[in-house]
Amino acid sequence: MGIKVELAQISSKLGDVEYNLNKHLEILQTSSAECVVFPELSLTGYVLKDLVYEVYKDSENALNKIAENARGCAIVGFIKEVRPGILRNTAGVVVNSQINYVYKFYLPTYGLFEERRYFQPGNPIRDLNIFEYKGLRFGVIVCEDAWHYEPIEALTMLGADAIFIPSASPIRRLTSHKLFIQDNWEALLKAHSLINGIWTLFSNSVGSQEEEYFWGGSMAVSPLGEIKAKAKLFEEDRIIIEINIDENRKNRFFSSFREHISTFHDVLREL
Amino acid sequence: MPEYVREKLTLNFPLVTEYLAKRIKDYINNSGKNGGIIGLSGGIDSSVASVLLSKATENFHVLLMPSSSTPKEDLDHAFTILRLINATESKYTIINIDPIVDQFRLAVKTDDKIISGNIKARSRMTLLYAFAQKFNYLVVGTGDKSELMLGYFTKYGDGGVDILPLGDLYKTQVRMLGSYLGVPEDIVKKPPSPALWEGQTAEGEIGLDYETIDSILYLRFEEMRSENEISALVNVPLDLVRRIVRMVKISQHKRLPPEIFRLSGRSINSDWRYPRQWA
Repeated sequence: MGIKVELAQISSKLGDVEYNLNKHLEILQTSSAECVVFPELSLTGYVLKDLVYEVYKDSENALNKIAENARGCAIVGFIKEVRPGILRNTAGVVVNSQINYVYKFYLPTYGLFEERRYFQPGNPIRDLNIFEYKGLRFGVIVCEDAWHYEPIEALTMLGADAIFIPSASPIRRLTSHKLFIQDNWEALLKAHSLINGIWTLFSNSVGSQEEEYFWGGSMAVSPLGEIKAKAKLFEEDRIIIEINIDENRKNRFFSSFREHISTFHDVLREL
Repeated sequence: MPEYVREKLTLNFPLVTEYLAKRIKDYINNSGKNGGIIGLSGGIDSSVASVLLSKATENFHVLLMPSSSTPKEDLDHAFTILRLINATESKYTIINIDPIVDQFRLAVKTDDKIISGNIKARSRMTLLYAFAQKFNYLVVGTGDKSELMLGYFTKYGDGGVDILPLGDLYKTQVRMLGSYLGVPEDIVKKPPSPALWEGQTAEGEIGLDYETIDSILYLRFEEMRSENEISALVNVPLDLVRRIVRMVKISQHKRLPPEIFRLSGRSINSDWRYPRQWA
């Protein structure tokens, strides 16, 4: 018996926190899962540009309302003012009405992304945390952090058996076959899952925001590298996945996950 | 077109169709409009854009705005597309723009073909916006990526639109998409022309065919290859590669909003960056 997690693949209305809050509350009230994971910046939308300065306060108030109302566990994207004038792209982790904050470490600022213009990155020394709910130990990272080894690796070493990844991944580089970016994400999640013996759960935004289009396709990958559930492309969807810790054991009994040569990190530190 | 480029430009067109129709629909909904209006010339771009619009919404209206320089073939092709998208009589309007253009020419006292050509494009824009306002629709543009990059359009003429659904597809890709969507072959294969004066063709004016132009644009601006490398890969003289690249560079002003000279601490455009979807 595992714990049920819902990936709530929603289309947030850009800058309309009230509309987005109502959508969150409705999903939380109707979900049969123990934990609901919303996309990155789910309360505000992603392509905010200077709207960031107009919605950050409302987004935190909305998160507080969710904490008052939510049973169980919810992961919600919003903007946290960590000190006056300093904003971070944040996932609010609500467990039994208690709010914790997970900050994005790697802020994409290339091509279409311009997060460094608005946000301060999290600091791994202070900001790496894992959480526990109904026996499941999990970590949360935000989108771009899955394109690097360390955030997921560190959370796994801290004890996480599942990683929730709220994301806002837009379509780009279309090819003759399918969505190239979807291929990329599948490969990333499978690699993280296999290497770390963990569940990876990717909750992506969907829909149009300015020029960009978030493709959806949220998915859950088991520690054996299998895609266990997949949400629809291009439309709102809600999928539920049961996380069974036995799958972590199946990976870890027969892999070298238990081996960790930390001196590699001594080398990395010097590079 | 080198096989390498053709392969890169060949997309999953069923997916592209679904995607673009969805984006048009989303944009109409998000902007609080009831539908879309489009100008149909009978060329490949406006044919494909019309088909996509008709897939996005039932609330569309098509304007046919021929002038004395419009080939009869184009009008026939426009009617073929109207049939393809089941545009019944209430869904299209034909307006001959010659009297409107003549009034402008008279006021400006010119019979220069380029000035007159641009007046035609801007008269069509004015008509499209007037109809859009009448119906509470938005204006769906038909420009493709090749034309936009080259600056091969009239500023505030065919460039004056609300959205550009084909703006990230090269002409070659629009043709492929057209074939997939069932646009008749004679429209797909017809030499593209703004038809602003008699005998005008895009490829004649630019001096290269679109397959070559698109190869140069793709390799230079997406793969960021050098002009020398492109000349060898595409098998065209270096000076022609340079000419295309120069067209892109000198037309940047057509792709951006007008420049505002800064005085304040927060000026529009440069550091006042709000999304369209603001309220």
